[in-house]
Amino acid sequence: MNTPARQLDPIAERAIDWLLRLDSGSATAEDRSAFEAWLDADLRHRNAWQTISGLLHQPIATLREAESHLPGQRRAARLALTTPQRRKALRNSAAALLLLSLGGYALNRQHPLGTLVADLHTATGERRQVQLADGSTLVLNARSAVDVEYSASMRLLRLRKGEILIHTAPDPARPLVVQTLHGQARALGTRFSVRQLDTHSELAVLEHRVQLTATSGAQQVFDAGSTARFDGTRIQPLAASAATHAAWAGGQLDVRDQPLGEVVNALRPYKRGYLRVSPQAAALRVYGVFPLDDPDAALLSLAETQPIAIRRYGALVTLVEHRGEIE
Amino acid sequence: MHTPPPSLRQTADLLYRDHHQWLRGWLSHKVGCTHQGADLAQDTFVRVLGSNELGRLDEPRAFLMTLAQRVLYSFWRRRNLENAWLEALAQEPENHAPSAEDYALVRDAIETLDRLLGDLPLRARKAFLMNRLEDMTHVEIARSLGVSLATIERDIKLAFTHCYLASLDAIPNGITEAPSSTRP
Repeated sequence: MNTPARQLDPIAERAIDWLLRLDSGSATAEDRSAFEAWLDADLRHRNAWQTISGLLHQPIATLREAESHLPGQRRAARLALTTPQRRKALRNSAAALLLLSLGGYALNRQHPLGTLVADLHTATGERRQVQLADGSTLVLNARSAVDVEYSASMRLLRLRKGEILIHTAPDPARPLVVQTLHGQARALGTRFSVRQLDTHSELAVLEHRVQLTATSGAQQVFDAGSTARFDGTRIQPLAASAATHAAWAGGQLDVRDQPLGEVVNALRPYKRGYLRVSPQAAALRVYGVFPLDDPDAALLSLAETQPIAIRRYGALVTLVEHRGEIE
Repeated sequence: MHTPPPSLRQTADLLYRDHHQWLRGWLSHKVGCTHQGADLAQDTFVRVLGSNELGRLDEPRAFLMTLAQRVLYSFWRRRNLENAWLEALAQEPENHAPSAEDYALVRDAIETLDRLLGDLPLRARKAFLMNRLEDMTHVEIARSLGVSLATIERDIKLAFTHCYLASLDAIPNGITEAPSSTRP
């Protein structure tokens, strides 16, 4: 991990210079014959050259080989090795380790939030209930993040990603509003959930009513039991029942005639790694109740009733495919 | 290369006997998985054998925990790397996961590169990988990264020097086996 403080010996340095020269894309014939002469001049030159040119030879050969039957491997490897977030994530996980050992994490989980602005988030597979300063209760689905911004005139919950269910405490002076990328949901009652996806957000009203305002200004009020989707411009009622839609808060995925792709999307926040469903499998219609906290069991029970095959590579890659595709 | 003298070996065996289960429990709790916890405990004991502090052990659990923290750190590092790789793969237009055999090979290759590139600055990493892995010329890399040709050449030379020195550092640690008599 430390930068090697050692000095490079002159022959190794010369070998590196040669490699750079020959590999630059603009080496000339004279360069090559000068290089041959250098190699022949001393046995140590040849040894140093073998060491330097053999550096990283094996991992790079492996990636080239993979590239030859599946294009994009080298690029993906380079991106992975140069992702700045990875370093940031690393710092975060190192910091998380520290917090865990100090018990700060447990503290934060169990105590109501005293501060006015807070960032709450959940990890993969983690569902979390938090009591807010005004007595409202917030449940975060896995892989979700929300900023709590309470002021004298408004209780604002900024949903950064994922899904929340909110049980509001009454406060006529300060409306409670959930803001997503696509608009906002204002509580006219007590219990509702909001889910933010890439292209749109969804609302499920469990009790009383919620007023939805899309970014465009379109507005509509939804009653208990109803569900809706909104993107920046439009609001549309959905067919699903609110109870089904918000079943995640109880750890269940309740599905009635939905595409498998959506089921897999709902399981994703509960499963580490890369979960891919083929387009053919994604289109299958699914019924059932599945345990969110055990996504592998949910996938297995899907495989029992659906013409799908589940393949795993290592601990982190799971592919869901239509059986018809595999033969 | 250097096998621990018998007394150290005995100390290691005692450590293993008395604290292995505790350590496995602690690590399993940290990573939330008993199988991985067991693997990491094994890795920690491999480091125990390579440690030169084994002779003077007042606080065996503190000592084990220090080593285990390092094992955990590299575990998280590998996991983050793997996640970044899978994300990069998912972005590829040809959205295929590699075959099972390729998967392990490619992942290991990326880990090896990550280890050898170490804490090399990001731009030097990029330049080096574009050149060595993706066969881009220095001129193409300079254009792509928006810096001068001389900067790219310096970056790549730095990367080679770094890898060369890192490979020299990697060799002396010849200990790869955990105490075989106490393996589960």
